[in-house]
Amino acid sequence: MKYDVVVVGGGPAGSVTARFAAEKGAKVLIVERRQEIGVPVLCGEGISRKIDDWGMLEGKRWIASTMEGARIYSPDKTCVTLSADVAGNETGYVVYRDIFDQELARRAVKAGAEIMLNTTATGLIKKDNEIKGVKVKQFNEEFEIQTDIVVGADGVESKVGEWAGINTCLKPTDLETCAQYTLTNVECSDAYCDFYLGKEIAPGGYIWVFPKGKDVANVGIGILASFSESGMAKKLLDKFIESDHRLKKGEPVRFLAGAVPVSLPVETVRDHLVLVGDAARHVDPITGGGLTHCLEGGKIAGEVIGEAVEKQDFTKEILMKYETGWKNAFGGKLKRNYAVKEIMLDMDDKTFNMLADSLKDYKFEELSTYSLIKALVLKHPTLLMKLKPLMKMSKEV
Amino acid sequence: MGKPKALVDRELCLACGGCISVCPQSAISMHGMRAFVTREKCISCAICIRTCPVGAITGEVY
Ligand SMILES: Cc1cc2nc3c(=O)[nH]c(=O)nc-3n(C[C@H](O)[C@H](O)[C@H](O)COP(=O)(O)OP(=O)(O)OC[C@H]3O[C@@H](n4cnc5c(N)ncnc54)[C@H](O)[C@@H]3O)c2cc1C
Ligand code: SF4
Ligand code: SF4
Repeated sequence: MKYDVVVVGGGPAGSVTARFAAEKGAKVLIVERRQEIGVPVLCGEGISRKIDDWGMLEGKRWIASTMEGARIYSPDKTCVTLSADVAGNETGYVVYRDIFDQELARRAVKAGAEIMLNTTATGLIKKDNEIKGVKVKQFNEEFEIQTDIVVGADGVESKVGEWAGINTCLKPTDLETCAQYTLTNVECSDAYCDFYLGKEIAPGGYIWVFPKGKDVANVGIGILASFSESGMAKKLLDKFIESDHRLKKGEPVRFLAGAVPVSLPVETVRDHLVLVGDAARHVDPITGGGLTHCLEGGKIAGEVIGEAVEKQDFTKEILMKYETGWKNAFGGKLKRNYAVKEIMLDMDDKTFNMLADSLKDYKFEELSTYSLIKALVLKHPTLLMKLKPLMKMSKEV
Repeated sequence: MGKPKALVDRELCLACGGCISVCPQSAISMHGMRAFVTREKCISCAICIRTCPVGAITGEVY
């Protein structure tokens, strides 16, 4: 069995990479250990509407609801509102991640990619230290697949990078450990995504309420693993729901545990190897959002891989175009927001309350972490001194 | 007596992968969509125990 490209992981990053490589004529195989793409869902399912501009998803079946804005609540419940009427229409969607992922996979297949389900990658095949393929296990059968390029799209727990000698182990300060209920019978009457901050509420993270249409909402928590104790994320989430009048009558139709890397990105290319999505740690360290980077980065990766296959040159030098590409697209933002994350970790609840109070009537230009940070820097030049150079560094939203 | 090693309760694990991503020894992997600790590799650091959002990993109190 020989392919030009084997993509390990059929999540959004893997499918988008596969699609764009296949569109350039490469023979692509996606190996996915699950028995159904996108299932179980491990996501808050919120995404910026800027994906509309990229045209990667057809139809509307993957959209659960459209968002008009976001509200951020400080520990004393002071509310900062980022709304569509100030920010224009650029807000977001809450999606059905299972349908979303399957739609991306469908487009990959349409472009010519193949998918092998129930198949776990267990290692790389190397000859004289050169990557030659992937070892896989399908039910009880183990076999090898030869390939010129291996794509690690295997998510937060990624092993592909490690097999190639890239250190992808996360420090507990760089992982958000999460739990989420999809609740029915809740009162979420408006189309706003709500975020709740505070050391008691969610140390080093936040609680989110994303309305999913009618009386359904994703209610989840992420806390920094370095502050976590066994089972703490779930306990804090249960406590929050019990104390919230809109949510406490809710009944769960889904419960999930999750993990989000909030580190700096890792090295993403080696000879014959590319890492994309969560495996590359392409997640916004403030929001924990990774989906837009999967799409944006996956497209760049796929195109660069396609070119490498055309040229039959699989060296790091050729594949490096992908790393340069994602750094130009969103690398600056990830770096800036990582620095902001570090500063936020040093802030106590009183500071959060004070910052929220200063922004409670602020009119934001757009709904993004960039405009939020910009407003904070304008209001508190001394407190956020460290951030100023970072703002110059990157205007990416 | 050695320190207690991490042990995953397969009934409670929801396969989020968090423990796998933070284990400094790469001692944890996914088997049949549940986390699994290779005891020989575990150095009893308890990072995974504290990370698990649903409390599916135990050892003993350190
Ligand atoms: C609780 C939670 C809430 C989140 N909320 C949001 C949000 O609201 N908005 C947002 O933008 N992002 C959110 N994220 C982040 C987002 O889910 C990720 O960034 C995104 O899923 C990453 O996509 P991916 O394709 O890189 O990896 P994944 O979607 O994780 O896909 C990886 C795939 O690889 C497969 N795989 C892994 N190892 C192997 C192997 N060895 N062999 C074969 N297959 C393998 C897995 O089964 C999986 O299907 C959230 C994450 C969590 C956990
Ligand atoms: S952190 Fe807990 S729920 Fe997540 S994979 Fe590990 S044992 Fe399972
Ligand atoms: S206790 Fe430490 S070494 Fe052992 S499995 Fe957990 S994280 Fe890995």
